[in-house]
Amino acid sequence: MRIVIAEDNVLLREGLVMLLTSDGHDVVAVADDGPGVLPALLEHRPDAAVLDVRLPPGFKDEGLRAAVEARRELPGLPLLVLSQYVEETYAAELLAGGAEGVGYLLKDRVSRVDEFLDALSRVAAGGTALDPEVVSQLMTARQDPLSALTPREREVLGLMAQGLDNGTIATTLVITERSVSKHIGAVFAKLGLPPTDGGHRRVLAVLAYLNA
Amino acid sequence: MNGLLRSGASGTLRLAAALRTALPALFGLPLVPLVLVLVPILLPWLPEAVRPLRALANAERRRAGALLGREIPEPYRPARGTSAARGLVLLRSPDTWRDVAWTAAHGITGLFAGVVAIGLWPAIPFSLSLPLWWWAAPEGSQSAFITIDSWPRALTMPFVQAAVYVFLLLWLVPRAVRWQARLAETLLRPTRRTSLSERVEELTETRAGALEAHGAELRRIERDLHDGTQAQLVAAALRLGLADRRFEADPDAARALFLEAREGVEEALAQLRSVVRGIYPPILSDRGLGGALRALAGGQPIPIEMDVSGADARAPAAVEAAAYFVVAEALTNVAKHSGARRASVTVRRAADRMAIVVRDDGKGGADPSRGSGLAGIRRRVAALDGAVRVHSPDGEGTTLDVDLPCGS
Repeated sequence: MRIVIAEDNVLLREGLVMLLTSDGHDVVAVADDGPGVLPALLEHRPDAAVLDVRLPPGFKDEGLRAAVEARRELPGLPLLVLSQYVEETYAAELLAGGAEGVGYLLKDRVSRVDEFLDALSRVAAGGTALDPEVVSQLMTARQDPLSALTPREREVLGLMAQGLDNGTIATTLVITERSVSKHIGAVFAKLGLPPTDGGHRRVLAVLAYLNA
Repeated sequence: MNGLLRSGASGTLRLAAALRTALPALFGLPLVPLVLVLVPILLPWLPEAVRPLRALANAERRRAGALLGREIPEPYRPARGTSAARGLVLLRSPDTWRDVAWTAAHGITGLFAGVVAIGLWPAIPFSLSLPLWWWAAPEGSQSAFITIDSWPRALTMPFVQAAVYVFLLLWLVPRAVRWQARLAETLLRPTRRTSLSERVEELTETRAGALEAHGAELRRIERDLHDGTQAQLVAAALRLGLADRRFEADPDAARALFLEAREGVEEALAQLRSVVRGIYPPILSDRGLGGALRALAGGQPIPIEMDVSGADARAPAAVEAAAYFVVAEALTNVAKHSGARRASVTVRRAADRMAIVVRDDGKGGADPSRGSGLAGIRRRVAALDGAVRVHSPDGEGTTLDVDLPCGS
């Protein structure tokens, strides 16, 4: 995969480059500040981009704004946004233009190399990768509508909201794929959502419901 | 006309009510020189002697304050020491002398105004009936100010006089009420000097509170970083070191240590995040107070109506952090205790102040003296010399009113 990275911390940037190249990817450009992100993306049109939320010059949410803008300029461009902390509002802004090929992860997750690479490839393939912490924030905030769910169904909903497919959920929870889809059916039924197959549409539906 | 009459009538009632303070003031007035002459002997009893004077002045403060629609605060400062020392303080205090001055002014003018206002009412019909008196008993018929000695005079002067009385009643009496209240306010409110020294005392206190709070905060951050994050990182580094030594001999054990080290680092990162959030919420520096508050509302289990346009103008970081903390804490309270179905947050800015109002439609009955949330809000706001008001009648929801100076 051809990847563009935007990260101002040299050590982390080098680390990311090392990690991605060692996995066989091709880092075609790096940006170290907010204004540099969009030109790099437009020039290289990569298969995916990994962006830090806070970038110079303001060290605010330049990366996030650049990401939102990039999605407008290059619809469908897979973006994985990394952040030192997670904020529900940022997730909502990022997903406002559609959940296909969007990821929003805590920077800490990079240390789980396999999970990080997995999330990146999921995003590049048009899927979604939401940090478990974002999901749990959303879940605690919207406790009430979820009270009808059993603990296991809530667990499944959480993993589903992170963007995982049925197979992965089954392995994570050590249950069969069949019972996963049974749980998902129950969740959709209890939340009054029409069942669909596409991973990102499920996330979108769940998020839309949680944000209502 | 009706309105004028009513204001004349209510003015009279008020001037009559003022007699309740004016008469004791007048009768107490002769005691003042007596007390002063005897001061060398009476000094230790002066605090007792001043007590009725203060009680009287306080009654007038309440009366005049109610009329003016603003509170007239007491200027008295507590005195310490022996009764003689306190007597000396009282003797030197301008408050005592201003009270005495008010006693003289109010005793004399108050009695006069009250008696005149009450007297005007019977004086008007009496004046109008004068022609009748002249007709019945011509010789020497007179009212208070005019003598009637001819028919033309009898048919004009009483009406002129009555008109003057009516004018006094309708125009002067309501004004006299206001003048009386203003006189009381001028003499009985704290002087600029006393209010300033009170303010200085208050500021010294809030400054001490702010320093205290700041110190406690620094110690908490140091402890969290030192005992938590730092220790966690040391443990992780130790495991990496051990893994390095075992790498050749026992790769499996080394791998287990690597994994443990990674877990340790992850935990340290999580702790670091929460420490940072406690110092200054990152969203606050990203999005400013307005954006941070809007983000806060998004995470609530009930709908929150937000009018935080006043939060978009930047304020000092400490003020914004306090405002964020106040709203976060208040919304947590709403979600946890109020049983409300909706709530609203309003932030307004006026020149150098920020007013925050958090309102809910819950069951009310919030008690600021209990509950650590409200106490925390109070501490935080007091440290910045702000003010907190909680209005929470049972069954009617809760309104939290916070006023923060922005020191621009």
